[in-house]
Amino acid sequence: MAGIYIYSDKLDAAAELVAFAKSAGKHAVVLTVSEDAAGQSVNLGADKVYLLECGNGRIESYGKAIATLLKEEDADLFAVSSTVRGREIAANVAGYLDCAMVSDIRSAEFVDGKLVTVRMIYGGAVIQTEAITGLCVMTVQTGLFDAGGSTAAAELVKKSIQPDNRVCTSSTEPVVKEGVDLKKADRIVSVGLGLNKKEDIQIAQDLADVIGAEVGCSRGIAEERRWMPESRYIGITGVQVKPLLYLAMGISGQAQHIYGIKDSRIIVAVNTNESAPIFRAADYGIVGDMYEVIPLLTEALKNI
Amino acid sequence: MPKVLACYKWVVDGADVTVKKDLSVEKRFESKISDYDRNAIEAAVVAAKAMGCEAIGLTFGTERSKLSAKPALSRGLKEAYWINAPEAATADGKITADALAAAIRKIGDVSLVICSDGASDTLARQTAPRIGALLDWPVVTAVTKLTIEGNRMTATRKLEDCLEIVNVEFPVVVSVLPDINPAPLPGLAAIMGSAKKKTTEIKGEELGIAFSTNTEVTEVKGYAMDRKNILFKEGEMADKVRELANVLKKEGVF
Repeated sequence: MAGIYIYSDKLDAAAELVAFAKSAGKHAVVLTVSEDAAGQSVNLGADKVYLLECGNGRIESYGKAIATLLKEEDADLFAVSSTVRGREIAANVAGYLDCAMVSDIRSAEFVDGKLVTVRMIYGGAVIQTEAITGLCVMTVQTGLFDAGGSTAAAELVKKSIQPDNRVCTSSTEPVVKEGVDLKKADRIVSVGLGLNKKEDIQIAQDLADVIGAEVGCSRGIAEERRWMPESRYIGITGVQVKPLLYLAMGISGQAQHIYGIKDSRIIVAVNTNESAPIFRAADYGIVGDMYEVIPLLTEALKNI
Repeated sequence: MPKVLACYKWVVDGADVTVKKDLSVEKRFESKISDYDRNAIEAAVVAAKAMGCEAIGLTFGTERSKLSAKPALSRGLKEAYWINAPEAATADGKITADALAAAIRKIGDVSLVICSDGASDTLARQTAPRIGALLDWPVVTAVTKLTIEGNRMTATRKLEDCLEIVNVEFPVVVSVLPDINPAPLPGLAAIMGSAKKKTTEIKGEELGIAFSTNTEVTEVKGYAMDRKNILFKEGEMADKVRELANVLKKEGVF
């Protein structure tokens, strides 16, 4: 069956991709690798749900097999949600098909038989539009498309295929989440490489305490200096936030950081360098040393 | 002797990408190893020590990517290969992986290929799984820890909600997250020593690949944020901060 073939390890994301396929006038075919996932996927409004059997339940083991299936079925597109497992299987299938793949698209539509996608590059500073001819693969962040709400039952087809068992899972451990969920914060005080030493995070914390904010940081603080946990790193490969107020202290404003804060309602920048890119992304700014500005601002915002 | 090969990309620094008022984009030349590729190189050097073999580097780029050899070698690689192809200037993930996989075959005796999770310019996060498919080798992505035991590797993968520990025999392609190591800046001796290490050019035409893809880039434009861009410049710092505080109170963000 031609159409859009879908894989997601999250049911809500699969529903969004099914809705995208139907809105594009295509058949929607959902691929699953467990009885549970297949059972949950049959009421997403897809035309068909494949349960790929005889495997180890590890989607990453099916790259070659899925590529073969897509060719046999004359698929138009393999749409995959952008999770760690999803990104691996998507690119692996694209490799076996030796076809194009567009990652983390911001929009997608079929125009004159071509898939036209928009994605951001250079950390969100640049928007690139691409037109793809023929079978291709794309990855999509959850929430890009509306789920649609159809619960029409799909045909469930069990298909026996040979997985690649060369990679074996020996165990799994739950991830212990450190810190807070910055995505839910109304106000964030964020520090960058203008911070001289780890202990000085306290001045940002003092300001955060006064205005009821959480403390975040740029990539350099979390990944290079490792002064704050990854859960507090804001950027394209970190957390993407949308607070009412974002205070960027000593952050230069590289594109990958701007991508992570672009949905903030009000952005304030403090940096010693007037030509730092953060000021172009800010509503309000002060050219100055964060070590001078933060204590003054903390005092000024007491009793708000 | 088997080799550990680190793939890296020579990229334009994000600070050298300028969006003009008309949203046109100006870029300076490539000038640095992609941020996360530094972690991949370090991981390759560490893995090679554990395996008792050499770590080598491979990049795919235009003529200018030759400049990447010394910075890469100064990070502990024994030898660097660079694929010199004009097609690299506009290459997508497919062409890039086609070129790297063909070069890995040509270099030969590679047991472990290490890539980063994604390049700092495109962050497409395709290279490792694609190379694995093209070589028909197993792939392990999002790796934060690698342990080598004989001809096997145990890797810890970081997923959204769990850590997954997997085992696999060589040859294998992995992508590593920056968590795997700190990728320290090379010292002066390492930088000086890199000039004496071997660098090998592989011309694109030697790879026997078509450098073709089914993607066409139809538009590239800057992303503009609609912001007020108001700078408080007047008076002493205390005056500027007081003015900022007053404005924020009026904005209703508290």
